[in-house]
Amino acid sequence: MTDPIEPPHGTSTHEDDDELLPCGRLLSRAWADWEDQARDDRSRDGEAGDAHPRNCPHCREAVRGLDELESAVRGLRTETAAADSYDSEPLTRRIMDVVRLELRPGRPLPLGEPAEDLWIMEAVAARTLRSAAETVPGVRAGSCRLRHVHEDGTVEVRLDIHAPLGVPLPDFTERVREQVRRVADRALGMPTAAVHLRVTDLLPPTADDDREGRTP
Amino acid sequence: MNDHTSNTPYGRLAAELATSVTEVPGVAFLRPGLTDRLRTALPRSAPHSAGTAAGVRLTRPDGEGPWHVEIHVVALRQARTVDVARGVRDAVGHRLGVLAPGEPRPRVTVTVTGLL
Amino acid sequence: MVGAPPDTRPDTDDALLVVRAAEGDEDAFAVLVQRHAPALIQLATRLLGTRTEAEDAVQDAFLSAWRRLPEFQGRSSFGTWMYRIVTNRCLNVLRSRRPTAPLEAVGDVAAAEHSTSPARITEGRDAVRELREALDLLSAEQRACWVLRELDGRSYEFVAEAVGISQDAVRARVFRARRCLTQALGAWR
Repeated sequence: MTDPIEPPHGTSTHEDDDELLPCGRLLSRAWADWEDQARDDRSRDGEAGDAHPRNCPHCREAVRGLDELESAVRGLRTETAAADSYDSEPLTRRIMDVVRLELRPGRPLPLGEPAEDLWIMEAVAARTLRSAAETVPGVRAGSCRLRHVHEDGTVEVRLDIHAPLGVPLPDFTERVREQVRRVADRALGMPTAAVHLRVTDLLPPTADDDREGRTP
Repeated sequence: MNDHTSNTPYGRLAAELATSVTEVPGVAFLRPGLTDRLRTALPRSAPHSAGTAAGVRLTRPDGEGPWHVEIHVVALRQARTVDVARGVRDAVGHRLGVLAPGEPRPRVTVTVTGLL
Repeated sequence: MVGAPPDTRPDTDDALLVVRAAEGDEDAFAVLVQRHAPALIQLATRLLGTRTEAEDAVQDAFLSAWRRLPEFQGRSSFGTWMYRIVTNRCLNVLRSRRPTAPLEAVGDVAAAEHSTSPARITEGRDAVRELREALDLLSAEQRACWVLRELDGRSYEFVAEAVGISQDAVRARVFRARRCLTQALGAWR
């Protein structure tokens, strides 16, 4: 048996269930042409396209099954399209029930004086400080990392924010820093040495931003 | 909870301390699973000698030296977090003073693992 | 519309939420779950066949994602990452459903299961049902590639990325799947 002609898509791995049509083309090639034509939005009239698939009765017969399959596929696609109607709330709750029970490894940061031996987990404090930053209208808080400065028992805060377009940045970032420092002290009692703020994006304001204080 | 530790002196002590902690204003609850996941720089004593009430870990790292009590607690946002932690520390110290009067002053480490 | 309304800046917001979730912000993760679950449930239902199994797979996928988030460098979008995780989880479920013996004469199998009836009308809902049943004849890998390509409309490149094989391998599997499905549907005429 002679080797079959290599079809365009390098589908030599098809050999075991491929079929050689009486016209000399491989079934896989006839199907690949069908697929290209089905998915191609551009009109092929003006191109020097391959006329064989249209004219050859063997190739036409070979793709008839595909056409029939395609209409069943369209039906199945419609039937299983759930994305718009799916209520993800029960599933979300089930997932979050497990997530909230898991203990993420994390480092503790000091509360109060060094000798007091009182601590708060980084992720917990970070949540509070992000919320603090977001009480400034237009702020979206991102990464919030806390570092324990062992020498004096204080905490260094590194916070990324998205700030609104059009505000003078130095004043704005100072406002945010102030909020973070205030909340770190009043709400947590965490000794904060420095708040390093990094503006990672500037965004046009949305309707949300008029609200004073985003709920976490 | 491990039944074989809850009736040891350590186990009962840890349970008492846990109760005293939950009575502190601003405490939501004790964090379960403390002994499984506690990250500490201190040398661990053998697992069965430690009290294992949820959220309370009681060890005596230096043999006959003072107790080390480690508390994991979830606090309420309404209260100032450091004040809650101080309240927990004081409650534990006081309770131990009552239940084990001959003991030297314990070391109490309080870690807030959540805010509600 | 159930659930939280979609954000007006989804991509930026996703990236921000991912960073926060990776740092332990559970509420941020909850928003990501709510936002991406519908599309992933659709994918998993198409891959596995039932909504119940789909929800189990998607739940496991999200929990796995939560634990792996700190390593997720953001090289792709969160949605694409989740798509990949769900696809692979469903592949494992599909593989555990059947022995890995290669399919013989698929046409014979299909014909034996259905009585031939010349007057049988195979259009509309019947054809869809038959197709759904015929999908069970495919191997796990064929089914996955075919579903992603045909039902989800993904490019060969995307499918290759999601399943973790070459594009040529994807084409080969889609071809074999089509062979099997056309024969199965055709055998009932």
